[in-house]
Amino acid sequence: MATRALLAVVTASPPRMIQIKASTFSSSLKFQRHITTLARSFSSDTNPSVLQPPDVSRLAETARISLTPSEVLRNVELRFVKSLTAIVFVVLVGKCRFGQLQQVDVSSVEPAIRAEMEGGNLREDAPETFENRESIRASIPSFDEVYLKVPKVLNKE
Amino acid sequence: MLSTLQPPRSLTLLPFRRFHGSKTIASLASSSPTLDASFVSPPQSQILTTRRSLLSGETTASEIAKSYLSRIRLTEPQLKCFLHVSENVLKEAQEIDQRISRGEEVGPLAGVVIGVKDNICTEGMPSTAASRILEHYRPPFDATAVKKIKEMGGIVVGKTNMDEFGMGSTTEASAFQVTANPWDLTRVPGGSSGGSAAAVAARQCMVSLGSDTGGSVRQPASFCGVVGLKPTYGRVSRFGLMAYASSLDVIGCFGSTVADAGMLLHAVSGYDRFDSTSSKQDVPEFDTQFLSMDSFESKPLKGVRVGLIRETLEEGVDSGVRSATQEAASHLEALGCVVTEVSLPSFSLGLPAYYVIASSESSSNLSRYDGVRYGNQVMADELNKLYECSRGQGFGGEVKMRILMGTYALSAGYYDAYYKRAQQVRTLIRKDFKAALDHNDILISPAAPSAAYKIGEKKDDPLAMYAGDIMTVNVNLAGLPAIVLPCGLVEGGPSGLPVGLQMIGAAFDEEKLLKVGHIFEQTLKGSGFVPPTLPNVA
Repeated sequence: MATRALLAVVTASPPRMIQIKASTFSSSLKFQRHITTLARSFSSDTNPSVLQPPDVSRLAETARISLTPSEVLRNVELRFVKSLTAIVFVVLVGKCRFGQLQQVDVSSVEPAIRAEMEGGNLREDAPETFENRESIRASIPSFDEVYLKVPKVLNKE
Repeated sequence: MLSTLQPPRSLTLLPFRRFHGSKTIASLASSSPTLDASFVSPPQSQILTTRRSLLSGETTASEIAKSYLSRIRLTEPQLKCFLHVSENVLKEAQEIDQRISRGEEVGPLAGVVIGVKDNICTEGMPSTAASRILEHYRPPFDATAVKKIKEMGGIVVGKTNMDEFGMGSTTEASAFQVTANPWDLTRVPGGSSGGSAAAVAARQCMVSLGSDTGGSVRQPASFCGVVGLKPTYGRVSRFGLMAYASSLDVIGCFGSTVADAGMLLHAVSGYDRFDSTSSKQDVPEFDTQFLSMDSFESKPLKGVRVGLIRETLEEGVDSGVRSATQEAASHLEALGCVVTEVSLPSFSLGLPAYYVIASSESSSNLSRYDGVRYGNQVMADELNKLYECSRGQGFGGEVKMRILMGTYALSAGYYDAYYKRAQQVRTLIRKDFKAALDHNDILISPAAPSAAYKIGEKKDDPLAMYAGDIMTVNVNLAGLPAIVLPCGLVEGGPSGLPVGLQMIGAAFDEEKLLKVGHIFEQTLKGSGFVPPTLPNVA
């Protein structure tokens, strides 16, 4: 699976797009291919589409996180991709001493959303005033009396 | 209630008396001026000793506070435990002294000097979770645990260093500084509550609060040779604790004795209407059971059934840790316990299940840090870019990694394979623990596979770092209480490195853990767990 080599890294001013050189990515591609082979060998019976290596730039976009220009320049992004892929596959899928999350039979097991299932701790649906509004206001980075200022929103397709 | 406690065998003064007005750092090793080298009295509760000396007029809260501030000033350049030291310490101490001199009641924690981990909100004091994205952030409210401490007269001396947002096991992932282990300044204190553990070990404060999501109180307690107590999930309100993984997070306590950790826990426990996951279970009076050694019978733990978890002594655990654990088991047997091996078949599944659940929940919890309502903002010409840049520049590498892992695990099509599956594994782990605890009063294991590593050793090897959590994560998944107390030393550093024994109890059974832990600690022979002399600072 070809990994996109384009990462949008935007700084405050002026915004610019940085294209990762093909050479810096080639070893990452090799690594990704290696992990994919490893993944396929683990999962003879599991749906192969589940075990695609993570698309880091897509995930970063979903999580609204950019890698800083300095991280890109220091090849940290490369290590990042390697670590993330390794962790995803070894930790989440791995056959090593981390355990076999995918292999265990959980067909008749109820998922536990938390340890103890004490329920019903709901409060009355009535608004309460928080007194220390001044302190909240003081923390707002861009405040224009009553409004929290943010730049415009551009809807992507 | 505190007054019904038996007095300790010897009314030793706290070390702070010796530092009063002193410019050098004297050895911490002797807590009493008349120490006999061949026998050391068991460690004394600092909370009780403080209360007694304040009420008897022997010393004042201001004197105590001054000596701790002076100790912090002298040791911080090497240790770097604190991200912020409170400017109100002396003022708060004076208020306590005034109330005492007027004959007014003071709370059970009056004059007690307390450190608070920086992911726990303290009104008016910076609370950054050791992250640049919250640099300079001052919360508008106190966490419930902090509010309770203040109501009881405790003095919050400062905010301690940690791994950013609780994500890490060495405190190296702090955006601001690396804390050193007081036992060996070239080693880590553990994490993520490394600052809180090291501050208690170095006697910069008497007790401290930390948080434990996957072992973040218990592992640093082991690395620093102090007591770390993780309560049952829901025992302590999480209101004001910056959420990392909401189904796993708890606030925990550090102390130099089991009694101190237990008393601090009692002070912060209880139902809180601001935390819908806080439990309505009664909080037993587990602060009053710390009897002095004089009143122990010859086999004070007779009949207590202890299960040693077999899977925690398999390969991958240092031989020094293994023998310290086995010696601890023998010590328990000598006290009357019946120690057997138990097996938890789902044990090895805990680590991947934990990392799926923790990273998934953290990816959701950390979405609130967007630079709009609080924290550092990086301005941009478009809203999504503002989010991306504020978060991209505000979060450290480890935090970003975990958020991306969580985003991945929760992505469309993957939820069943990862998150739901991990929740099902959680059910299996709970069942195994419950079965083991039906036949045993407590379970024991090492707290970590090794003693403290060197600073920088694991930083570039995240998998090795995660592997170190294997002893602790299952307890968070099952929501059970656990205590770690120092049980031995292994080779390393100027005078050895401490190793902790983990004791796990049934849900809401902190009382039993504290009882066993206290008796274990008070009867353990040796020179106590005090770090070696810190270098003289002119």
